[in-house]
Amino acid sequence: MTEFLLSLSYDRWILDFLLLFPLVGAAIVAFVPVDKAKQATLALTSIEFVVSLGLWWAFDIANPAMQFSVSAPWLAEWGIFYRVGLDGISLFMVLLSTGIMPLTVLASYHYITERERLYYALLLVLLTGMLGVFLSLDMFLFYVFWEMMLIPMYFIIGIWGGKNRLYATMKFFIYTMAGSLLMLVAIIVMMFEVWKQTGQPSFAYDAFLNAAPQMGALAPWLFLAFALAFAIKVPMFPFHTWLPDAHVEAPTAGSVILASILLKMGTYGFLRFAVPFFPDVALSPVVTAIVVSCAVIGVIYGALVALVQPDFKKLVAYSSVSHLGFVMLGIWAATLQSVQGALLIMIGHGLSTGALFLLIGMLYERRHTREIADYGGLARVIPMFSLILVVTALASIGLPGLNGFVGEFLVLVGSFGRYPWATGIATTGVIFAAAYLLWALQRILFNRLDKSENEHLHDLTPRELVVVLPLVAGMIWLGLYPKPVIDRMDAAAQRYVHLVQPGFEQPSSTAYVPSPEERP
Amino acid sequence: MIPAIDTTTPIGLVLALLPETVLTIAALGVVLLVSARHDGPADSRRAGWMALVSLGLTAMALGWLALRSPEEPGLGQLVALDSFRYLSSALILLVSAGAVLSSLGYLEREHLVAPEYYVLVLLAVIGMLFMANAQDLIVLFLGLETMSVAVYVLAGFNRGNAFSAEAALKYFLIGAFASGFLLYGIALTYGAAGSTNIGQIGAQFSQGDLSMMAKLGLGFLIIGFSFKVAAVPFHMWAPDVYDGAPTPVTAFMASAVKTAGFVAFARVLYTGYQAVTLDWRPIIFGLAVASMVLGNLVALTQKSLKRMLAYSSVAHAGYLLAALWPGSPLGIAALTFYLLGYGLTTIAAFALLGVIGRDGERDTTIVDLAGLGEQRPWMALALTICMLSLLGFPGTIGFMGKWFILSGLVAEHQSLLSVILVVTSLVSAGYYMPVILSMYMRPARAPRVFFDTRLPGTAGLAVMIAVVLVILLGVWPVPALHLAGSAAASLAQSAAQTVAGN
Repeated sequence: MTEFLLSLSYDRWILDFLLLFPLVGAAIVAFVPVDKAKQATLALTSIEFVVSLGLWWAFDIANPAMQFSVSAPWLAEWGIFYRVGLDGISLFMVLLSTGIMPLTVLASYHYITERERLYYALLLVLLTGMLGVFLSLDMFLFYVFWEMMLIPMYFIIGIWGGKNRLYATMKFFIYTMAGSLLMLVAIIVMMFEVWKQTGQPSFAYDAFLNAAPQMGALAPWLFLAFALAFAIKVPMFPFHTWLPDAHVEAPTAGSVILASILLKMGTYGFLRFAVPFFPDVALSPVVTAIVVSCAVIGVIYGALVALVQPDFKKLVAYSSVSHLGFVMLGIWAATLQSVQGALLIMIGHGLSTGALFLLIGMLYERRHTREIADYGGLARVIPMFSLILVVTALASIGLPGLNGFVGEFLVLVGSFGRYPWATGIATTGVIFAAAYLLWALQRILFNRLDKSENEHLHDLTPRELVVVLPLVAGMIWLGLYPKPVIDRMDAAAQRYVHLVQPGFEQPSSTAYVPSPEERP
Repeated sequence: MIPAIDTTTPIGLVLALLPETVLTIAALGVVLLVSARHDGPADSRRAGWMALVSLGLTAMALGWLALRSPEEPGLGQLVALDSFRYLSSALILLVSAGAVLSSLGYLEREHLVAPEYYVLVLLAVIGMLFMANAQDLIVLFLGLETMSVAVYVLAGFNRGNAFSAEAALKYFLIGAFASGFLLYGIALTYGAAGSTNIGQIGAQFSQGDLSMMAKLGLGFLIIGFSFKVAAVPFHMWAPDVYDGAPTPVTAFMASAVKTAGFVAFARVLYTGYQAVTLDWRPIIFGLAVASMVLGNLVALTQKSLKRMLAYSSVAHAGYLLAALWPGSPLGIAALTFYLLGYGLTTIAAFALLGVIGRDGERDTTIVDLAGLGEQRPWMALALTICMLSLLGFPGTIGFMGKWFILSGLVAEHQSLLSVILVVTSLVSAGYYMPVILSMYMRPARAPRVFFDTRLPGTAGLAVMIAVVLVILLGVWPVPALHLAGSAAASLAQSAAQTVAGN
């Protein structure tokens, strides 16, 4: 397979293709007949996914540096280039983005009935924006993509969202922009520092990385600006308040993309930019104390709030806050296991939460309500749906054998040595996760079938099965055999660990592995 | 080698003022024609087209001059011959042409047919060109007055409308007041420096310490300019005047008048007071912060689209002042570039507003735009791009402009102003985004509410060119950046000469 790809000189055009193709596709979709828009988009996103799959084989496992790099001048005299590349961290984010996209298109087939061309064109633009964020190796370019993907999401929530969509979409926009504008100032300040140090302007990621250690007194402020942008996106407690509104009001596809990909941009930003640029600030005792406590509070608080939500979609939205708390813990622990775990949670959360939102969307299309109390006993009416929902929920809870377990386990193992107390408290979040999801499942699927409206629901259609089964397969695969994935992220994770703590000795992995009994 | 233009001879002076001369002759020609043919819409339209042709001829003369004698900075001259002048004049001609184009359909629809309108526009443009080329404070003042008198009349052009009359009166009174400040500033500066020539003033002040009289003169000059560009706290007239004037006139004021004011301001500060940057920087800082904060916050509370844009133009004056603050070539380049971006976007936004609204557009609220996205998708798209550009969103020229301004500030280690700039930009999202929200996300009031909302061909052309440029220069700003950079460099060169000439 690798030879075949090389014969196509795949490594030279793939990233350009991934970024350009959806934009071209958006232009096509904007002009096809209305009733063909969804088929066209499905075809386009599927092509994009299939082509991107080649990365899996073409990717060089042993190489920790950026691969498939492309560079072309944009505003060359300002050091602004179109520089893109991919490593073991972005590889999975890219595959996740391209993989989720066709599924969300398919899931929108009946949900979106108005202004379809605009909708699908926006989805394609969004795809370019997301991939651009994960692929950019130029800070200016990164910022452009980071902001660019706001607009399609703003429209998707605002036009096709629920009752309170106008409020939710403004809140989403303002929150995200609030963080990113300060990041823009930080990027410009850093560029001038690079200029001062090297004698020529450059927005290149590597130039920033090299210049960052000499920022001196500026470093805390710069870190703060980056961290704020990413913390809002993650969203980390206490910046999470936009998330439930946006999630609940967004149409199914919007929620899925938000949960599976957009939230990962925040943690990706920490992994790629904020922490490696300023490890001394990020891992200083004060910042660590703040971030780790916010992460742990996020884990517990997100779970507790999820527990009391009457709305299933909101419940899942808050569960994201909880899951991403684990990711933040893993990133800040900065051991090989914890970083790999964080990456695995990022992937796994993308699969399982994405699937949960898709399933909620399917339920909503049938009953037009998301209140948990309106359901009950569905397992008897729609067994197939119920089975898949149970599997997905268990994956989200972290049942061994499914994806959630591997990531959370690695994060907890990797973090325990660094922050035993925080890790100990975060572990209870796993219990809460079991509580809120299992309780919700009980009320939706199992209790008595006492609402007559629920008696005649039809089970999943073949189309809906096609939407969720790939995600379920991914969950099982990641749960049972994550080795190929871990292999590919290994070099990049090691690079991260070395970047942020050059002198840190990796303790032997057997030193403090908790026995399986310690886990709920 | 073509001989340099010797401005001490009459021929040389005419050559140096060729664009202005061409425009003056053309404007007088239009006046003659207008006095003979003064009947219906057809005559008004003909006058409009003639005005466009005049602007085009002027642009050609300007191009010839720019190619013939690109850089001849020097002391002792009344008018500057540098690329800063050429670029800013070109900018003024460009946005003025946009304003004329969007007036053509508007005036007929609003029953304001009177061909004098276009004559007044041309006269105002003559004044602006003099503001852009003035190397002497007296020339500058004459240009400013020529421009202002024409614009006072334009603001009140809708004679039947009380708000338009109010706008004209208010603009006239406050404008006269501002001119008084400016003139007093010129007098004091003359007293302190012994000359009204900006270059010689610069040479005089190149030692770095200003006398009390010179400081007062500088202060009055800044106040005078601040009135003209509507910077807080000298902005009180702007919302009412922008609101009451016919919409294309508002566009003209917000783009061309502001451009002329800022380029003259930049030249005075940068060549005249280059050596005493520290004396005026704090004042500009205060004005910039006040304009950005107040303009954005008050715009947030506006319901009327036109009034919102009026306050937003106050906020943009703040951004432009922030570009002026560094007093460096980079800052001047950023200022020029931002003026281009703001001018293009403003022309397009007001042209669209003029089509969407009725009766002076005072009552067109942001919520009234509901349904435009579905019923008039292209207009909605154009307005969306304008709003994003005003907001400074990547992919538009507005973003490149803000990035450039921020670079200018950061290069001078002015992080505080940069942070205030981005934070107030964030506030502006609170009023630009609802426009987009209304157009696309609110249900229309009625199925065919925008049935007779159609862009006339001329305004459509203006909008199309402006929006395409907003996007093109937002993605590939290199040519415009180069032009702005060389204009700033030419100004820097003359500033350096004045200092060295002492």
